[in-house]
Amino acid sequence: MLQEGGFPPDLTVTEATKMWAGTLTSPRPVEEALSLVDLAHRASVRVKQLSGGERRRLDLALALLGRPEVLFLDEPTTGLDPESRRNTWELIRALLREGVTVLLTTHYLEEAQALADRLAIMHRGRIVVQGTVSEVVDAYPSRISFVPPGGVPLPFVTDVDGAGRVTVTTNNLQETLHELLAWAHVNSVELSGLDARSASLEEAFLAIAQEAA
Amino acid sequence: MRAVAVGQAELKLFWRNRTALFNSIVMPLLITPALLAADADGVPLVIGLVGFVLLMAVYYNLVTTFVARREELVLKRLRVGELTDPEILLGASLPSVVVALGQMALFTVVVGVTTGISPPSRPWFLLLGVIGGVVVFMLLAAASSAYTRTVEMAQVTSLPVLVACLLGSGVFFPLSVVPAEVASVLRLLPLSPVLELLRAGWDGGPVVQPVIVLAVWTGAGIYAVRRWFRWDPRR
Repeated sequence: MLQEGGFPPDLTVTEATKMWAGTLTSPRPVEEALSLVDLAHRASVRVKQLSGGERRRLDLALALLGRPEVLFLDEPTTGLDPESRRNTWELIRALLREGVTVLLTTHYLEEAQALADRLAIMHRGRIVVQGTVSEVVDAYPSRISFVPPGGVPLPFVTDVDGAGRVTVTTNNLQETLHELLAWAHVNSVELSGLDARSASLEEAFLAIAQEAA
Repeated sequence: MRAVAVGQAELKLFWRNRTALFNSIVMPLLITPALLAADADGVPLVIGLVGFVLLMAVYYNLVTTFVARREELVLKRLRVGELTDPEILLGASLPSVVVALGQMALFTVVVGVTTGISPPSRPWFLLLGVIGGVVVFMLLAAASSAYTRTVEMAQVTSLPVLVACLLGSGVFFPLSVVPAEVASVLRLLPLSPVLELLRAGWDGGPVVQPVIVLAVWTGAGIYAVRRWFRWDPRR
């Protein structure tokens, strides 16, 4: 799958797919490939009239046409609306279950987190981290943030941003959160906008980008 | 054959391309009445027309086709597939070649009927000339596309080959009117051996030198395409 283009604009979706099928040894049926990516209803539309997202899906259809064992997907969901993105994810998961090996590049970290068995983060042309999602993410601390009422002394060493929001980082989210809530309860402090989360790939990525900069 | 799948797609694109359709089908039909009225020697007229078709329908058309498909990234996409490089180029050339052969047949029949030319005495040289000419100008078109950035630029970049062949290969004037030394150089141009083989098909001229020249151009064309052909756009 290429990052962009490569279809003659004046062919219809079916014609472009048929042309590609004609060059392959044992292609899937054209209709099957198009319905896999939800393009069957656009089969007789010229490629030049497709939206960017539809072109991405046509691209994916052609990649699937040859029943590949290994599939290289270069940013397959770039330019897709949220629904098409979910559908593409489902399709990729189905391929993974069938035993297809997928190498996927993406700028969307939630996409990598949702789909990848193993991932590598590339920064300025070098792979800086690789492993399973949890291996990569576990190296980074969890965060708890909240806005305390003014003038209350806090029990933790914390960062406070301009809007008064306090962020606590911890390697033991459950324990720290428990302590925080117990303290708030005992002192009758209201923690507005309380938010606690494990490190996500996005945080890991941003931390890596900062370290490397 | 797998290249046919590409050829079929090209043919559909050709039908949808008004300019190409006009140039390839309407123009020849417009020329035909003029040919019917032409009071010329039949054989040189047919040979000149075949040369013209090779230059316009094969060479010029294919330069624009290769550039257009390259800029649309179609060649790049095809190249990551199962097709071999020659299959891709052959597939993309198919409609132009079919149209060119159709034009040649039309012109030959029309001129043959109106001027009553005799059938060629050695038709295999005719065949060799046409096939060799199609192959050489396909290769030259692919090579020329390497230094043609856009479809519009093809009008300029195709000029050297077009002008050299039109003026130097005896399409507009017979080579006998220029000094012998100049003529022998002009015989080395890519279209010259094709036309000489066609003439040899009718009146039994020399064939060894044209066959050699054609073979050398074919070899040079294959080398140039392998060396310089661009499969994706310069950016």
